[in-house]
Amino acid sequence: MSEELCDLSATEISRRVKNGEVTAEEVLDSTLQRIRLVEGRRPSTNPYSPEGDDRNKVHAYISLTEKRARLQARAIDDAVKAGEDPGPLAGVTLAVKDIFCVHGTPTTAGSKILENFISPYSATSVQRLESAGAITVGKVNLDEFTFGSSNESSAFLPPVGNPWDPSRVPGGSSGGSAAAVAAGEAVLSLGTDTAGSIRQPAAFCGVVGIKPTYGRVSRYGLIAFASSIDCPGPIARNVTDAAIALQIMAGSDPFDATAAALSVPDYFSTIEKGIKGMRIGISPDYHKLKFPDPKTGEMCEQSVDEEIAEALSRVLDHLTNAGAEIVENVAMPNTRYGVPAYFVISRVEAASNLHRYDGVKYGYRFDGEVSNLRELYRKTRAHGFGSQAKLRILMGMYVSAEQYEKGYYQRALKIRTLIRNDFVNAFNPEGPYQLDCLLSATTPTTAFKIGAIYGNSVSMQYADLLTVPANHAGIPGLSVPAGVDNAGLPIGIQFLGPDFSEANLLRIGRSYEKASADEPWRRLQPKVLHA
Amino acid sequence: MPEYESVIGLETHIQLNTRSKIFCGCKADSWEDDPNVNICPICAGLPGVLPTLNKSVVEKAVLLALAVQADNILPISYLARKNYFYPDLPKGYQISQYAEPLARGGRLIIPSADGEDRVVNIEKLHIEEDAGKTVHQNGKRLIDFNRCGVPLVEMVTAPDIRSADDAAAYLIQLRRLLRWLGISEADMERGQLRCDANVSIRILGEDSLNTKTEIKNINSIENVRAAIKTEVKRQIQTVEAGQTIEAWTLGWDEDTETLRKMRSKETEADYRYFREPDLLPIRIDEEWLLEIKSSLPELPLARQKRFTLDYGLPDYDAAILTEERSLSSYFEATVKLSAGDPKTISNWVMNDVLRLIKEKKISAGGLRLIPKYLAEIIEIVESGMITRGTGKELLVNVEDKGKTPLELVELEGLAQVSDEETLKSMAMTIVDQNPKQVATYKAGKATILGWFVGQLMRATKGRADAKIVQSIFQELLDNDGDLGS
Ligand SMILES: [Zn+2]
Repeated sequence: MSEELCDLSATEISRRVKNGEVTAEEVLDSTLQRIRLVEGRRPSTNPYSPEGDDRNKVHAYISLTEKRARLQARAIDDAVKAGEDPGPLAGVTLAVKDIFCVHGTPTTAGSKILENFISPYSATSVQRLESAGAITVGKVNLDEFTFGSSNESSAFLPPVGNPWDPSRVPGGSSGGSAAAVAAGEAVLSLGTDTAGSIRQPAAFCGVVGIKPTYGRVSRYGLIAFASSIDCPGPIARNVTDAAIALQIMAGSDPFDATAAALSVPDYFSTIEKGIKGMRIGISPDYHKLKFPDPKTGEMCEQSVDEEIAEALSRVLDHLTNAGAEIVENVAMPNTRYGVPAYFVISRVEAASNLHRYDGVKYGYRFDGEVSNLRELYRKTRAHGFGSQAKLRILMGMYVSAEQYEKGYYQRALKIRTLIRNDFVNAFNPEGPYQLDCLLSATTPTTAFKIGAIYGNSVSMQYADLLTVPANHAGIPGLSVPAGVDNAGLPIGIQFLGPDFSEANLLRIGRSYEKASADEPWRRLQPKVLHA
Repeated sequence: MPEYESVIGLETHIQLNTRSKIFCGCKADSWEDDPNVNICPICAGLPGVLPTLNKSVVEKAVLLALAVQADNILPISYLARKNYFYPDLPKGYQISQYAEPLARGGRLIIPSADGEDRVVNIEKLHIEEDAGKTVHQNGKRLIDFNRCGVPLVEMVTAPDIRSADDAAAYLIQLRRLLRWLGISEADMERGQLRCDANVSIRILGEDSLNTKTEIKNINSIENVRAAIKTEVKRQIQTVEAGQTIEAWTLGWDEDTETLRKMRSKETEADYRYFREPDLLPIRIDEEWLLEIKSSLPELPLARQKRFTLDYGLPDYDAAILTEERSLSSYFEATVKLSAGDPKTISNWVMNDVLRLIKEKKISAGGLRLIPKYLAEIIEIVESGMITRGTGKELLVNVEDKGKTPLELVELEGLAQVSDEETLKSMAMTIVDQNPKQVATYKAGKATILGWFVGQLMRATKGRADAKIVQSIFQELLDNDGDLGS
C-alpha cells in the first residue's frame, strides 16, 4: 500500500499545506478516505454482538464531524491563499478522544448517560490545537468515562480493534485515539492518561504517546475521571509530531487553577541535540512485577514478557551507542503499591465526579414512570451507566465513607507520596542515581485478545502496573514504539522523567527513534492497511 | 419546676457581595433577575468544567475573620467536596471547606441593654458556594441555577447564647458588622444572611450540653427570636413531662408561627468530604494578610465608644450614628468641618439627615447634601442668619437641587428679616387692618396674640424670629397701637 497524505507526519503536512503543495481539504479527504477503508460499522449503544467483518475493522470513531472539519479545512486554505500564517498544525487531522468537549459536537464520554449531550464549549486543548490549524475529524472511542485499559467498557460498540490485529484490543482508555493514529485515520490524537491511558494504548498500537507532567496541560473541558491524576496529552506517529502538539497544548490556563503557571520551553530547540552523557536508569521493580492475586490477594510476581524484555535490551544498546550512561538496579520499592492505591484514589474522585450525571440537566434521563425524585436518579443512573462506572461508584463510595476513609483513602494518599518519593530519589541530582530518566517497558504484555480478560478488574489493571506510578507521582512519561513481538504486535517502552522534563524526554525519545531508524520493524504497517 | 436556661448556637450563612460568583465569571447577585440568566457551563456543572477561585471572596472572608478577631487565620486552608444529590446542586457536590477552614476561633461582642456586654465565641468560619433554588409549582419542580456559585461565608458560633433575645441581638450586631465592612448586604429577607439555630436547655447552673435540636432556614431576625422562644418552651414542656429531647431538625412556619419537624438527625447523610482536587490550597501569606488588614476599618463598637469620649455624645446618639458606617463617617466629617457643638450636629444628623436618607433610600455617602453643606447650614442657623425652620427646609432643598446652601439663601431670599424697623411697620399694618381682633385682645383674650404673630410670619414666609415678633405685637397692642419711641 502506497503512502497517502493521511500517513504523512504532522510536520510534513503543515509544510506542504503552507507551501500550497496540497490543500488542507485534500488532507481531510485523504483521512476520510482512510476512515471509510478501515473503520467498519460505526459504534453505537444498540445491543451488540459481533457480526460480519467487525473483527477486521478499527471502529475508532464514535462520531465524525465532517461538515465542521471541512469548514475548518477551507478556512485554512483561505488563509494560505491570503498569505496568512495558518498555524503550525495547518491541515493536520486530529481525532479527539470523546472525553473532551468540542463545541457543537456530541460529547459522549463513551457512556449512554451522555449519549445525547452536545457540548456548548470547547476544551482548552482542543481550542488550542484547532487555533494552530488542526482539523478535528471526529470523536474517538474510549472506555466509558476512561474507566478501563482495553476500550471494551465503552457503551459504543463494536469495540475498537487494534489496527495491527483487530481481534485484539487497542489498549485503553485512549484506545480509539491510538488506533486512529496508527491506522492513518488521523495524524494526531488528543488523549488522556490517568493510569497509563495514553502510554498503554500507544504501546499496543505502535505509536508515540506522551503523558505530560500533571499541570502542564489544562484539564478544562476534559470530562473528569480522577481529577488529581487526569492528564491530557497527544498521541502521534513520531516523537517530533508529539512535541509539536504538546508545545501547542501546554501552558497555563485561566480556566484551570491546577494548570501550572510555568512557561513552556521550546521543545524544538533541544529535540535533536542527542543524549550524550545523560543518565538513563532501569529498575528491577519495573521488570519483576508484583501485584495482588485477584482471588487470594497474595502478592504474585511475574516478569515482563520475554520478547518485551529483549526489545528493551536492544533499546539500551542503542541508547548506549548514542552516548547515554545506563544506570542499573534503581530501587523503586513502592511500585507494587501503585495499582491498589490507584484503585482507591481514582474511585473516590470518580464517584464524586459522576454525581452530576443525574438525568436532571443534560444527557440521558430515564423515560419510564417514576414515582419520586430518588427513583428518577436511581433509574437514570442504573440504565445510563455501564458496569465499570457502577463498580467505580460503589468502590469510591465505600472507601470514602466516614468509617472507612482513614483506612483506605488517607492511606492511599500516603502511598502516593511514597511512590513520588521513589522518583524524587531517582532523579535527585545529589542522590544515589542522579537519573535524567527511568526507562521501562510501557506494558508487561503486548495487546491481548478482545474479551480475554475483560470483566476481571484486577487482571485488567495488570496492564497498568508500569504506567500508574508516573500518574501517582505527577511526573511525565513518553511511550515510543520499540519493535514488534513474534505475533507482529507492537512493543512500547517508556521514558519517565522528573516534573516538567518533557523537553528532555522528547529529546531522548527522538534520539532513540533516530538510532533505531533502520530496524526492519520500522517499515511494518498495521494489518488493517493490507486488508 | 427548676429554672432552665437555654443554650443556643447559631450557624449563619452570609452572602458576600462580590461582583462575580466564587468559581466563575457570572454575575453573583441575581435578585429580581429572571431564572437561569446568570449561569455558564461552570456554575451549571456541565461535563468537563473546572472551578477557579475568585480572590475577592477570600479577601472579604478574611476581612470578616479579622473583624471577629479570629484566633487563627490558617496560612493554608483547603476547599473540600461535600457530596450529595439534589436537583439544584448541579455538580452533585458542593465545594465548601471542611477539616481545614479559612479561620478558627474569634468572638463577636453584643452590647446589651442592661449595660453588660455579652461575648459570643465563633468556632469557625469558612467559604463555600451556594446551591441553586428549587421552586415547587403545579406538581413540578422548577430549578433556578442563578444562585449556584454565589459566594457564602459560613460562620458558626459556640453554644454561648442564652436567650432568644440575645440570638436576635447577635444577628443585629452581625448584620451591622457585615454592612460596616462592606462585604455583604446582609438582608435576611433576601437570603443574604441566613440563620440556623441549635437549641438545647439545661437546668440553670449546670454546664452540661444536652441534646439539641436544629431550626433551619429562618428568614428574619424576628422569626429567629420567635422560633427559638417557641422551641425553648417546647423543650421545657417536654422535659417537665418526663420525656426526652430528640435531635430533631425543625423548620419554622412563619404563617402559623409553629415549628415543623423536618428529618431525624440520625439519618443524616455521610457527605464523604474530601479535598477538592480541582483547586489549589488557599494560601494566605503574611503579605496578603497585612494587605487585607490595612483595609480593615475602625469597627462599629470601637467607633461608638470613641464618639462618646471624643465628642461627649450620649451613648444613645453614638449608637444611632454608628449604626451604619457611612452615617458615622458623615457625622464625623461634619464635626471636623464645623465650629459647632458635636451634640447639635448629632441632633441634625439623627433627625433631619437620617430622615432624608430614609426617604431617598440612599446611604449618607450618597447625599448631595455633603458634610460641608450641612456644616454651613448649621452655622447660618446658629448665627441667626436664617431660622431653624428655614434651615430644615434648606437642607432638603440642597439635597433636591444640588446647589450650595449659601447659593440658595441668596437665590430665594431666605435670610431672616432681622431688621426690627421693617418688622414693626409690617406689624402696624396688620394691627390697623384687623380692628376686630384688636378688640378681642383688648377684651382680655390675650391668646389672640398668637394669631397676630402668625399673620406676620406668613407675610415674611417664616423668615422672622417669632420671639421678636411677639414682643413687637405685645408692645403695639398694649400701647393702643402707638409704639413708644
Ligand atoms: Zn457561571
